[in-house]
Amino acid sequence: MKMFEEKWTAWLDGQLSGKELIEFESSLPDLAAAEAEKLDAHKLGAFLKKELGAHALTNEEFFSHQLRERITRETEGRASGRGATSTWWTVPRLVWCGATACALFLVTTFVLMKQQNPGEQSDYLTQILNSKVDPAVNPNATVSIFESKNHNKVTVLWTEGLQSLPADYAAK
Amino acid sequence: MRTLLIAVLVMLAVGVASANAAHAVWSGLVIAENVPQPTQIPPELTKFEQTLKDLFGYNQFELIGQSDKTLRTGEEDWLAVSKYFALHVDARGENDSGYTLNLKLYKEKEILLETDANLSRSSPLVIKGPQVGSGQLLLVLVVKEDEIHRRRHAQPANPITAGWYRLRRVIHHIFP
Repeated sequence: MKMFEEKWTAWLDGQLSGKELIEFESSLPDLAAAEAEKLDAHKLGAFLKKELGAHALTNEEFFSHQLRERITRETEGRASGRGATSTWWTVPRLVWCGATACALFLVTTFVLMKQQNPGEQSDYLTQILNSKVDPAVNPNATVSIFESKNHNKVTVLWTEGLQSLPADYAAK
Repeated sequence: MRTLLIAVLVMLAVGVASANAAHAVWSGLVIAENVPQPTQIPPELTKFEQTLKDLFGYNQFELIGQSDKTLRTGEEDWLAVSKYFALHVDARGENDSGYTLNLKLYKEKEILLETDANLSRSSPLVIKGPQVGSGQLLLVLVVKEDEIHRRRHAQPANPITAGWYRLRRVIHHIFP
């Protein structure tokens, strides 16, 4: 024997039929009020079903969103990680840089060497920076400088007026 | 590519090393005279014999004192002495053409002449000193080439070394 609450719930859910339905509805003191209550219960059920369903969907979407975010982050992290380890100095670039440096060196050397025939002597001559004779000992002494014009490029410091010395001073 | 780079570096290193090799400076006290029977000129002056004869008009050049100093740092000093004369040479550094020298000619303890000169490797220096008897005292300074340089100059000049000197000169011009 079902209790009233059980029959009421079954009636609300539309699970009563036939003789049982007629008996239950006839037992109700106010069928119209019961019908209104049934309608309200159905509305509430629909509402709850809707709300609960939407909540579940939102939650699913939230996790899906979280997953997508995480995947995006990890993908970007891997990409940036690869960027950090890679360098501009790749092997082909290194080879090209080396070749360019060598070419520059050779061109510079060639240009510098071309300024002078390698076989010839340096153009540098000996330079006299300054020269002095003690005026107390040699008051009339003068000093002049010239270079020989022949291939020896001898630089000469020519003094005049130095005190003459006896031949003894030529001793070794 | 790597082999080429190594070869270039080795050539550069050899060039720089030979460019910085030690030189010897020969300094001599010479009495130039006109004599009926001139003796043979000292071997250090053979190269300049005709130049000396043309410049001073003497037919004999006799060595009364000499010194052959090998320069390692370019800041050595030394003496070439005869009985009465002494030539004190004070090297004050190497430059790209030769050496900076301070020269003092002494007659016993008295300074007759003092001069500063940049002695070039390719240009000897001759100083006309006082008249001595019928002759003339000459001071001669020559940068001698060592064995490495003699061998190198017997062949065509090392282009790397020549280039290195040029480069140094250009850099000295830009950054004095």
